[in-house]
Amino acid sequence: MSRALTIEMLFPEIANLHGDNFNITYLSQCRPDARVIRTGLTDTPAFVSGPVDLIYLGPLTEQGQLKAVERLTPHRDRIEALIESGTMFLFTHNALEVLGTRIRNDEMHYDVPGVGIFELESTLAMFGRYNGKVIGTVPGVGPEHPVVGYKSQFSMVAAPESLPGFFTADRGIGRNSATAVEGVRRNNFLGTSLLGPILVDNPHFARALLAQLDPDTEPMLAHEEFALAAYDARLADFRDERRWHPFERIRSSA
Amino acid sequence: MRAPRLLLTLRLLIAVGVAKLAGVAIRAIGRQGTHTPGLIARKLYPGIIGAIRHPARVVVVTGTNGKTTVSNLLTEALLGEGMRVASNRIGSNLAAGIATTLVGAVSWTGKPRVDIAVLEMDERSAKLVLPGLAPDVLVCMNLTRDSIKRNAHPAYIAWIVSSALSESTSLVLNADDLIASSLGTEANPRTYFAVDRLPTDGTTPRGAAVDVAICPVCDSRLEWDYWRFNHIGKAHCPTGDFRSPEATFRATEIDASAGRVTLELDGESRQARLINDNIVNVYNEIAVAATLDRLGVTKDRIVAAFEHLEPPTTRFALEVVGRVQLVRLLTKGLVGVACSRAFEYLATFAGRKAIVLNIDEVSERVTEVENTAWTYDADYEYLANDSLGQVVVGGVRRYDQALRLAIAGVDPARIVTVQSEIAGADQVELEGVDDVFNLHSVHNAVITGTPVQERLRARLQERQ
Repeated sequence: MSRALTIEMLFPEIANLHGDNFNITYLSQCRPDARVIRTGLTDTPAFVSGPVDLIYLGPLTEQGQLKAVERLTPHRDRIEALIESGTMFLFTHNALEVLGTRIRNDEMHYDVPGVGIFELESTLAMFGRYNGKVIGTVPGVGPEHPVVGYKSQFSMVAAPESLPGFFTADRGIGRNSATAVEGVRRNNFLGTSLLGPILVDNPHFARALLAQLDPDTEPMLAHEEFALAAYDARLADFRDERRWHPFERIRSSA
Repeated sequence: MRAPRLLLTLRLLIAVGVAKLAGVAIRAIGRQGTHTPGLIARKLYPGIIGAIRHPARVVVVTGTNGKTTVSNLLTEALLGEGMRVASNRIGSNLAAGIATTLVGAVSWTGKPRVDIAVLEMDERSAKLVLPGLAPDVLVCMNLTRDSIKRNAHPAYIAWIVSSALSESTSLVLNADDLIASSLGTEANPRTYFAVDRLPTDGTTPRGAAVDVAICPVCDSRLEWDYWRFNHIGKAHCPTGDFRSPEATFRATEIDASAGRVTLELDGESRQARLINDNIVNVYNEIAVAATLDRLGVTKDRIVAAFEHLEPPTTRFALEVVGRVQLVRLLTKGLVGVACSRAFEYLATFAGRKAIVLNIDEVSERVTEVENTAWTYDADYEYLANDSLGQVVVGGVRRYDQALRLAIAGVDPARIVTVQSEIAGADQVELEGVDDVFNLHSVHNAVITGTPVQERLRARLQERQ
């Protein structure tokens, strides 16, 4: 890679819930030479006019989701083109829903279209927050190092089976409580509702993502010893049957 | 129509009577009975919070931090005014606890037997409590991030509270909190309190949990006249579309060494005793002053009340052993913002520090689902300081804690992990240290916090 690795964080002033922006803090510690662009809500995203290696959007409030939809909709064609051409995206928690077709929230009295890139419909239940764990194998990382993470969300997402998931959960629910298919993967677009932050909690996945971002540079993990020890402890826990609760099971229908 | 109403009244009196009897029985076996009587009352009469006769005035105190202290202080001050006060200060702040208090505030025949109720309310319970209660005054101290799993984010809690508020309720709100200050509608009478700019304030927000950064009208980045922590401070939109509300009740000049504070009380300036120099308690003091004023207590009496009011200090203890300060600090795991405040306070100590850190919340995996994301909502960055000699982290999630510290910028060579939460007290290096900190959470305060404190104290005493 002849130019600096460029990471664009979209709207960090509103997309910053649940500590998830440490995904980017951690990546930038793994790659101190990376250039991180923090694009404000009223700024034109850098990806509109130039090359960006990773585009990140983190968790938002409900109103924040609507603002993100409003700000990204004008760039829909550009985002689609970047996804098709293989630019890497990481959208975590409810950020993925922004790119769907519909966000419905009866309690807060709105039902609006999303940016419309993926055929996803999100339904929020403001008095039915779901909390759970998820474990599953992510393509390209290997079954010995499954991704582990947490869900804490008001929304459940419906999508056609033809839309590939980020991964399929071995335990825990996926896009909704009736499927193990979690998130969305299209080319190098990765969208997941998992919290963690996922890159910090999953050093093997972080390493694979770094390798994919810049194949010419040996991926190095920041604070690797602690990261691997924390992952191993969590993995052992997630593989312990006693840690799983009935509400974390997939139901036969949503 | 009369017969159904009579039946309802009868059912209400039965619910009150049964709940009272339950309270008597529970207290007879040595328990406080602050929750179950209300639980029973709500089962027997689901709308009892609204249906029961209320005292002449009802004050609800809510918010993420400070509601217990403010409820206690208000209750004490009103008792000092000679009022008969019902409060849930020793009990539950959920709907059942509030029902228990309301049942206790009426006679067996359902007649009010107190002048005023001061009710601490868990903000997440607003939907169950406020529509029926329709309090005369609602005080909201602040709305900051709390449990990710339960409270999601502060705007969500603000929506819950606002959705449940009666337009007749008079609001006493923190002007320095742009979320709490937005509660209610234009119909609600409102009074704002604030703490004026402090020497330690900045103008640039930092940290993981800044929940208001943009103008609600035009999305421009807000500019801060002063920024204190999280989204607490005073801000305006550079385009002129928006600004923080002006507070008529303000703590202005804080003299911690003299224990005095200047209170601006709706146009009148008074010197008062500073009940505690922690910023949280300064907010508590000015909120109490604003609320008492709204309740008709004279300004002289308000200032006089602060001469004897004391906030609880169970979250912090400092002892000097030899030449070393040993500080025990409740650092509420699961709540990143609470951890940040503890870390920030720790950072104000100027000497060389050693920390025993046990804020692992792995215990929650037994009864519900674990979620460790809160550690990234907490500003461990306050600990990344050359004055930190060593931090010893214990517990099942010690590597997560160590990783979080390293990402925050703490030198990994200064981070030690130990399996046992208590053994950290034996292993932490005390040589050359001025301040030793024992940081623990709520659930392990007794099983970990106390033995760690004892061992640290013993080691420091041995060195004398």
